[in-house]
Amino acid sequence: MRSPVLPLTWHLARSSGRRGLQSQLLAAGAAAVGSFLMLVMIAAALGAGTRADHTTWRTPDAVPAKEATAVQATTTTYVRHEPVTVVNLAQLPGRKQTPAPPGLSGFPKQGQVYVSPALAELLHELPADQLANRFPTVKSYGTIAVAGLASPDELVAVVGRASDDAAVAKTAGEQNYYDEGLTERAPISGFSGSKESVFTGIDQGTVLLGVVLLVMPVVVLASAAGRLGAARREQRLAALRLAGATPRQILAMTAVEAAGVGAAGALAGALAYTALLPALAELPYGVGAWYTGQLWVGLAWLAAVVLAVTALITVSAVTMLRQVAKAPLGVAQQAHPRRTRVIRLLLFVAVLLYIWATTGDSGQLKTRQLLALLALFYGAFWLLGPWVVDRLGRIVGRRAKRPATLLAARRLSDDPRAAWRTVSGLVLAGFVAGFFSVSTLGSEGPRHEGQVAVITANASDARHTATEARALLHKAGVTATVAVTSEDEYDSLPGGVPGVTAQVSGDEEHVDTAITALTPLGSGRYPITQEYVSAPDDTATARVATVSTATLVLSFLVAAASAGLTAAANVLDRRRTYGLLRLAGTPLQVLDRARVRETVIPLAVLAGGTTAMGVFGAMQLNKAAGTTINTSGAIQLVLCLAVGGLAMLGAIAGSRPLLRRVTAGPVQTAD
Amino acid sequence: MSTVLAGYGLVKKYGSTTALAGVDVEVGERDSLAIMGPSGSGKSTLLHTLAGIIRPDGGQVLLRGERLDNLSENRLSALRRKRFGFVFQFGQLLPELPAEENVALPLMLEGVPSRQAVERARRWFAPLGLEGLEQRRPGQLSGGQAQRVAIARALVIEPDVVFADEPTGALDQRTSTEVVQLLTFATRDTGAALVMVTHDADVAAHCDRILQVRDGRISGHSQFTVA
Repeated sequence: MRSPVLPLTWHLARSSGRRGLQSQLLAAGAAAVGSFLMLVMIAAALGAGTRADHTTWRTPDAVPAKEATAVQATTTTYVRHEPVTVVNLAQLPGRKQTPAPPGLSGFPKQGQVYVSPALAELLHELPADQLANRFPTVKSYGTIAVAGLASPDELVAVVGRASDDAAVAKTAGEQNYYDEGLTERAPISGFSGSKESVFTGIDQGTVLLGVVLLVMPVVVLASAAGRLGAARREQRLAALRLAGATPRQILAMTAVEAAGVGAAGALAGALAYTALLPALAELPYGVGAWYTGQLWVGLAWLAAVVLAVTALITVSAVTMLRQVAKAPLGVAQQAHPRRTRVIRLLLFVAVLLYIWATTGDSGQLKTRQLLALLALFYGAFWLLGPWVVDRLGRIVGRRAKRPATLLAARRLSDDPRAAWRTVSGLVLAGFVAGFFSVSTLGSEGPRHEGQVAVITANASDARHTATEARALLHKAGVTATVAVTSEDEYDSLPGGVPGVTAQVSGDEEHVDTAITALTPLGSGRYPITQEYVSAPDDTATARVATVSTATLVLSFLVAAASAGLTAAANVLDRRRTYGLLRLAGTPLQVLDRARVRETVIPLAVLAGGTTAMGVFGAMQLNKAAGTTINTSGAIQLVLCLAVGGLAMLGAIAGSRPLLRRVTAGPVQTAD
Repeated sequence: MSTVLAGYGLVKKYGSTTALAGVDVEVGERDSLAIMGPSGSGKSTLLHTLAGIIRPDGGQVLLRGERLDNLSENRLSALRRKRFGFVFQFGQLLPELPAEENVALPLMLEGVPSRQAVERARRWFAPLGLEGLEQRRPGQLSGGQAQRVAIARALVIEPDVVFADEPTGALDQRTSTEVVQLLTFATRDTGAALVMVTHDADVAAHCDRILQVRDGRISGHSQFTVA
């Protein structure tokens, strides 16, 4: 006999009325947001990896001198505080022709200069004495194609040199402590390599940090979507159970309906992701915007995410309905509060101690071990969260003076896991964002803003170079104080390396003019600036700060959506009780305030608390490093918290009309 | 017996259906009135109209001589909170609050400090046979116990009138009798009037008077005792 499950489910879904349709649309909407965010996160992680891979050709693996066909010296110069990667290439005479680097039509001949489109634009915009004069003079620049670039905004130049040019000489590759990853020289025979650029190498790791922080909130959102139609389905299916439907049939019907709604939503999210790819690619991260192809995850990932979101929603809906399937009279009231035990705190402390003991060992941890520890910490946090919410509910309940606060507090300790799920994403994201937005870790140590330095082989060269520097700067119209730095002088830009420093008066244009003017003095190396010296630290801090702020913004979005959905689901779940209370004269505002406080109390205490902890920790570190607070980061954080908090309140307030509607009239039909 | 609540010439229509067609009713202090009638007779509409939940299309509702039917929604809501108590068939208790806080809720809504409100609420537990159940949540109570908690909540504000809409509808016969006895006795003890809708003649028999409603009109009036 044909199973009645599918036709009956379809019939019931179609006849569920406006309210049924509303909750199905909301659930599908949440599934769409969930799958969209998951795809964006995967896209960013995979795309960051692809971008980094596109930079490895600039530092190819060195080959033995006998096998080398060319010499490559890659270095970095700065213009308008942005890094320009300059790849100097020289074909060795009498050796086999070296293949073309990625993105170039051929191996550059001596005097040829290829530039990325973004650099070409800048070369066109800026006066030659600020940028173009740093490169050999050419009639026209060649163009580096997409294959050789990580981002359309990247500034890259490939310069063809003679094999005896100073720019590719051994001295060009001599490294000081601050050259790591920025200046490298190698005899090569091709462009295969595995070393990623310092400006992209950290991108994937930091994106993964964001992904780790965002995965659970997105899962919670999808679960909330599964819960949304629960009250309606419970009533309907309880009636079916009484009419003789078997538990298996009821669960199958629930699964089919939830899977249908979830799959429709997840597909919509996947389509939105695909349609919005060009717009997403415009969002700058690290070295700039993305090529659209870098953010395309492929059909396999697309299908996996749609399936995962659908499965999450289905499992969530089925779990909610297990009680109906078991009890013919429908879902009984939750008899016992879902209390948490102190063992959660003890386990959390144990995990912290274990992590402290493991990381305290002298040996370095491998990435896999670090990830395992991070996952352990995250798990421990999830274990502790509901316990804290439970205690918070009890404390607030004991001190509650107003009925709305009492109701909210009792709800918190009644089901602390549910309250924790809504705010959990913000608790960790708040800590990370709080820390990295105000910290100035990258700026630690002395800063030499406005200084341009030329490194020399020794002190006597430095004196000679200083004279030339004064003349060149004067000729370029730059006012600067030129000084010679010795090997003992650590409080200078070169930091204990012989050279010449020019403290430039004026803005960034003057600094760029000074760099360009002093370029001929570097024996093939560009003059350095503060950005060059602190590039690895600054890049890492900037990336983590960007990712943590973006994570906080997205966490707020996801949490707001979860809170809104949960609030709507709760109103529907309790519409009878709310309706009767209102009939008995309970003001609607009391019920409404209780709903708001139920989310705001744990949000303010837990997420607010961890954000404050993050900020405090960063400020202590700043103090220890002798730096001050990162003002723009702090303003960004405050704005983000304010807007995010308002979004949460707005999302909960979104279900106020629903509360008004379901409690408006007599609950029982007036006969 | 002084009249506490009265409705005169009450008319209520839902589209072309007339739920109340000129009903007159009076309830005095310590008086208990059962409203009976078949489904669709208008008995619940009458209760809701007297309680100020539904506005009548015609006629007047008076509480101690003060008209209710022309009060604003906010004032009506406050009046229901302060001067009426309600007992419904089921589902009026908040599942997350223990019984004593469910009972204390109306007092807290009136601004009584929570500790004091709970103290006052507890006093109702022994007389209603709920001793030892103060900390239980609604889900941990039997149907009869939950209804007794609801009665305590209705009485804790010492209302003028208690409205009960099928208060025993979800209970077995024995529990129904216990609950309705408690409801009538306790209401009378506090000096409040009781207006109860029921379809059960045995339950109605515990009230002083029975009003039979049919097609929106009073079709019969029985009086068992004289107050």
